[in-house]
Amino acid sequence: MKFLDNELIKFSGVSIGYGKKSILENINFSILENDFIGIVGPNGSGKTTLLKTLLGNLRPLSGETTRDKVQFGYVPQRDVVQPLLPYSVYDVVMMGRYSLMGKLSKPHKEDEEIVNACLAHVGIEDLKNHRYNSLSGGQRQRTLIARALAVQPKILILDEPTNGMDTPSHYSLLELISQLHDESNLTVLIVSHLLTDVANIVKRLMLLEKNHFQIGNIDEILSEDNLKKTYSSDFSVSKINGEYLISSKKKV
Amino acid sequence: MEIIHQLIELFPYAILGSILAGIICAFLGIFVVSQRVVFLGASLTQVSVAGVAFSFLHLINLESFLTDVFKIDIEHNAFFHNFEPAFFSLTFAVICVLIFSQTYRQKYITQDGILGIIFVISIALRIIFIQKSPVAEVSEIESILKGDILFIGQTQFFTLLGVTILTVSVFVIFQKQLKFVTFDPETAMAHGMNSRFWLLIFYIIVGTGISLTTRFVGDVFAFAFLIIPSSIGILIGRKISQVFIIAVLVGAIIPPISLYFAFVFDFSSGPTAVVLAFILFIITYIGKKILA
Repeated sequence: MKFLDNELIKFSGVSIGYGKKSILENINFSILENDFIGIVGPNGSGKTTLLKTLLGNLRPLSGETTRDKVQFGYVPQRDVVQPLLPYSVYDVVMMGRYSLMGKLSKPHKEDEEIVNACLAHVGIEDLKNHRYNSLSGGQRQRTLIARALAVQPKILILDEPTNGMDTPSHYSLLELISQLHDESNLTVLIVSHLLTDVANIVKRLMLLEKNHFQIGNIDEILSEDNLKKTYSSDFSVSKINGEYLISSKKKV
Repeated sequence: MEIIHQLIELFPYAILGSILAGIICAFLGIFVVSQRVVFLGASLTQVSVAGVAFSFLHLINLESFLTDVFKIDIEHNAFFHNFEPAFFSLTFAVICVLIFSQTYRQKYITQDGILGIIFVISIALRIIFIQKSPVAEVSEIESILKGDILFIGQTQFFTLLGVTILTVSVFVIFQKQLKFVTFDPETAMAHGMNSRFWLLIFYIIVGTGISLTTRFVGDVFAFAFLIIPSSIGILIGRKISQVFIIAVLVGAIIPPISLYFAFVFDFSSGPTAVVLAFILFIITYIGKKILA
């Protein structure tokens, strides 16, 4: 399989699923350096399964995957991390450094500096000593992003980052994610069920539905026909001041 | 004062052993409670008791085997004389945690459901094992199975000391890995850490700690001290270090005080310790509510 210089990950004829049950078959795509991809699709379409396969936590059922020793920074769904223990924000972000340290070694000065820089990067350096479990949803999400950045990743993967957030936190988080991509040349993959959000910040879209997979430029993917096929519902897609607006077509 | 002197004179190892049992349970309990696998603790205590009951069946006579191999006079060797119940208690507990650690592979039954099955099957097996035991009366074995702080002797004390050192050492040496996988196993895995392996190590240490403390101090004490001191620590600790210090202190202080009360009022020591821990929990909870 040919692997281009700027390709970080390549899936060729890959089928994904659990056990013998495949969810998506014969997937072909590449993730390039400085890519910004949005992964969207209805519930049960295989978004999480694809994420797990991308991260290497789940083996593909068939096909070939190639990755060039890529370091991932992963931001899970916020609800997955609900600690009872009073870990500080600093403790949580430092966890991002753990996989890079020796098994028995302790954090060095360099690790501390990186953690502090990541906290500053996402704008929560003043929350450093606060308890993670006392933070608001937006602050928690920023902490998890800082932890993912502490890995110094090549690819940042975010799973439903704006889920359950209030409107200001929602938009400021999307702005932060765009900023991370633009300023740090970071390859970003964002999984979301909010199509409009994703369409307005990413470069490419990956549209999933059961046993159907599409990837391409936004204009190409975001057609009314495609959305009808994926969501089994009628949508209208319009572009106002350069921003996509997707709304449901009302039946008269 | 005189009673305290008497207690120290008569039960020095019981006092020290109960402190160690309290420390082990409280320490492990912090992880068990924060991981929301409290039912694992309940199941493990019952599995351990079933393991001890199994040893009374004498189906596999390990003690005779060890006597032959090491040429020991087993009647006069406290460690080997009590080896079989502790060995089977530990074996059953380790098998239980191995099964539990693999539950992520299937999606048909919840982890709680699996633990519930393990819990009831352990109790059922314990009853069958005791009924079919050729060595003693059912009531006699039941009382042995329940464990008693006062019966902690020199051998039990050193075993508990070994378990304390092992548990704390593993958690101190591999604190990074265990902290990360118990906090967020999904991300730890995505960042290149072998979450499944480290969670298995975590569960094996929890299984070892719970099975051996259950063997010596009983299932009620072990389970209560897994939950109550750690809950008190979580209620009032504002930092991780404070949670550990508070939980371990509660785990260490309550058992000797309960021995005193048990001695004075002729109570059973294990349940007295549980009730005292519960009273402290209620006071802490109300205090926290009022201050909040």
